[in-house]
Amino acid sequence: MNAVEYQVVLFKSVSHALLAEKTLKAAGIPHKLIPVPRHISSDCGVCLRIDAADRVRIERALAGAVGCEKIQPL
Amino acid sequence: MEHVVDARGQACPQPVIMARQALAEHSRIVVYVDNDAARENVRRMGAKLGCEVTIDRRPGGVFHVHLSRSGGKPLADGGTVAVCQPVNTHDYIVALSGETMGKGNDELGAVLVRAFIHTLLQMENLPTRMLFYNTGVKLAVQGSPVLDDLTQLSEAGVEILVCGTCLNFFGLTDKLAVGGVTNMYEIVTGMAAATRILAP
Repeated sequence: MNAVEYQVVLFKSVSHALLAEKTLKAAGIPHKLIPVPRHISSDCGVCLRIDAADRVRIERALAGAVGCEKIQPL
Repeated sequence: MEHVVDARGQACPQPVIMARQALAEHSRIVVYVDNDAARENVRRMGAKLGCEVTIDRRPGGVFHVHLSRSGGKPLADGGTVAVCQPVNTHDYIVALSGETMGKGNDELGAVLVRAFIHTLLQMENLPTRMLFYNTGVKLAVQGSPVLDDLTQLSEAGVEILVCGTCLNFFGLTDKLAVGGVTNMYEIVTGMAAATRILAP
């Protein structure tokens, strides 16, 4: 259904996710803060949904700013 | 000239009663309703009274039910007409009274409200209507982090209603980016008529 292929960036904590969001916002990279999908984790966590095409530059932008746990397909 | 009866937000049997009263004084009326049960009840009442009935569908789930007593014919005796159909118990509305979900920590609350609205969009059973008031109106204006999701909800048929007094208070009236401006009358009647209200 989605034209865009999404991936999710998972973090150790909500604070990490928020920091990563700020970093991507500053870098002007599109992303969306969403609840962690239930098939990934039943925690009440949040993660960043990204366009798979942006993965590399997102990894680069986050490196040194905030550690992410995992990036995986949605 | 059609006499207008605005029965939006009214629970059964109110729309029928309002229409019946208006028909006693006017030969042509149009009743605004916002749900299937009200539309059917008003249509049936009109037909029973010998009126000509036409219905047109308007945006936002609103129906205009036109009733006319042709040639000024007296009303037929419709007997008791206000028969309520069972309401759809799956119906619900969402009331957002703030730009955060819950109270305590605003940074967290802002994350939660975004997650709430995003998840709402994935529900099979969408709310019929979402009400925004107090700082909740900030969710529906330009630059809001939930604008995309609200726009999709609106496109999916959810009626987004935003408190005009509140927009005015925050100086955001010209920044409204999704939904329509509403007033306290509509907020109160909408809440009073709701089967269930989610207030995150």
